[in-house]
Amino acid sequence: MIGRTSRSAIGMLAPATGLIAIFVFVPMALTIGLSFTQWSTQTGFDTARFVGLANFADLFGPTSIGRDFRAAFTNTALYTALSVALILPLSVVLGLMVHQTFAPGGIVLRTVLFSTYMVPMIAVALVWSKLYSPTEGPFNQMLGWVGIPPQSWLSSPNTALFSIVLLNVWQQVGYFTVLAVAGLTQIPTTLYEAARVDGASAWTQFWKITLPLMRNTLLFSAVIAVINAVQVFEPVALITQGGPVNSTNVMTYHIRRVGIERAQGGLGSAMAVTLMLSLIVVIVLLFAFFRDREEQR
Amino acid sequence: MSSTMRPYRRHPATWKSSLLSLAILAIAVAAAFPLVWMVLSSLKTPAESMQVPPVWLPGSPNLDAYFEVSEVVSLGRSFLNSAFIALVTTIAIVVTSLMAGYAFAKYSFAGRDWLFAALIATMFLPPIVTLIPLYRMTGYLGINANLLGVVVPHLANAFGIFLMRQYIKGVPNDLIDAARVDGASELTILFKIVAPAVMPAIAALTLFAFVYHWNSYLWPLTVLQGNTDQYPIVISLSRLLSYNRGAMNTGLVMAGATLAVLPPVVLFVFLQRFFVDSIVATGVKG
Repeated sequence: MIGRTSRSAIGMLAPATGLIAIFVFVPMALTIGLSFTQWSTQTGFDTARFVGLANFADLFGPTSIGRDFRAAFTNTALYTALSVALILPLSVVLGLMVHQTFAPGGIVLRTVLFSTYMVPMIAVALVWSKLYSPTEGPFNQMLGWVGIPPQSWLSSPNTALFSIVLLNVWQQVGYFTVLAVAGLTQIPTTLYEAARVDGASAWTQFWKITLPLMRNTLLFSAVIAVINAVQVFEPVALITQGGPVNSTNVMTYHIRRVGIERAQGGLGSAMAVTLMLSLIVVIVLLFAFFRDREEQR
Repeated sequence: MSSTMRPYRRHPATWKSSLLSLAILAIAVAAAFPLVWMVLSSLKTPAESMQVPPVWLPGSPNLDAYFEVSEVVSLGRSFLNSAFIALVTTIAIVVTSLMAGYAFAKYSFAGRDWLFAALIATMFLPPIVTLIPLYRMTGYLGINANLLGVVVPHLANAFGIFLMRQYIKGVPNDLIDAARVDGASELTILFKIVAPAVMPAIAALTLFAFVYHWNSYLWPLTVLQGNTDQYPIVISLSRLLSYNRGAMNTGLVMAGATLAVLPPVVLFVFLQRFFVDSIVATGVKG
């Protein structure tokens, strides 16, 4: 029976494990290996020439390669921080609205929010580029109604990146709201009943019960939000092409431009490795941050 | 899990609950606004869509933009390409995830937890990290610049395995053992007994995989290398924008966007219940 089960196990695991090994683990290992080489993406892997840490020296050096990379890195870090800072609190507030049974409308809200998560990012980018349009777009028109002067949105280096953050938040917040609702359903209602008996206000209940008990959900949401934010590509590729003045040049766009379009495979791989290592650091820090909160309680 | 689907419990209507409902409704309207704007703009005449300040409602709603879209890009072909990509990947992902999820949930073998952890780690890998070598690898395999190159690297994924394992764990062992005593093969057990018991998970994974691959842009754009015959609808849409720069017809772009949005949103409306439950199952209990 044992022999039969382990033979079956191999058969059951082979398709998925084999595919993931070939199309995820192998390219991952190749990315690491190629980051130490000079290699044109248009030629075979055998043409890669070992150059040690030269690519990494370029990334952190004084040339334009380093300056462009560090600008893309900073833009991505800023974009990620802003996205997470907006998505997490919004998801909790919207999650409470969906979850509550005090007033009707929660399910409608959830359906609308989640529908936006189904919309292809390319369509989101197209539609929002028109909404942001300085003259014929409705956003500036609506701001005008309440007396706010027209904004430059995607056309100024000061506001372009934040404008892309906003459309990203709009597209993604439904998913994180459902995650928050999932977290809220795990909190025993008896805790709230006990708090009410003790005379705790709704505000106190939120800070002393709801938020602490959603710690794991928020940690999971934060990790996913960071990983999603790093992948921003369509709005940049379609609308801004990294501009104006490099203000929206983000990592996924920059790595693809260097590694695929300019065929500098070794340099692009070094960027990808740096991105991966930075992500690991950020995720470890997030875990430490939420763990720390746990000890304070 | 069903607690998320809990129906609204009727309280006496108070001014407080009315106010909250009003706020919820206002947020829902604001969230829906970009999509409503998209559909409205697709029905406007070219002159209306360029008007300053913008007009919100089309004066004489018409479908001209939709017909013009099909002249600019080969719409039928793009839709077929998208359908091929989304359907092939979805079916393959469901099958490979069921198999691996079953093994991880119901078999014990050496190195199981280690292998599972290694696979799950790939869920957190942004696609750009493997993009460059993967692009070259499809060249070696001779599947670049065509639809095979788009689908072959995506026939299995860690999320699917994770989701299936979570649900299959809940299938009673007695059910499986009884079938084994009757001499059923493992594949028969998986597809005749286990799969029907986890239909909600299959529905959720179908939606996740279909929507993800219908919408995906970075990989098809990279692997297809400008072969426009093989473009899915999302890439054809981006060509619509460059065409539009000359023609200045916003309605055209909005019509194309509306068409591309329809399949994933329609699928979502039918399967949304399973989607929400599966997020509860993977997001919290995981």
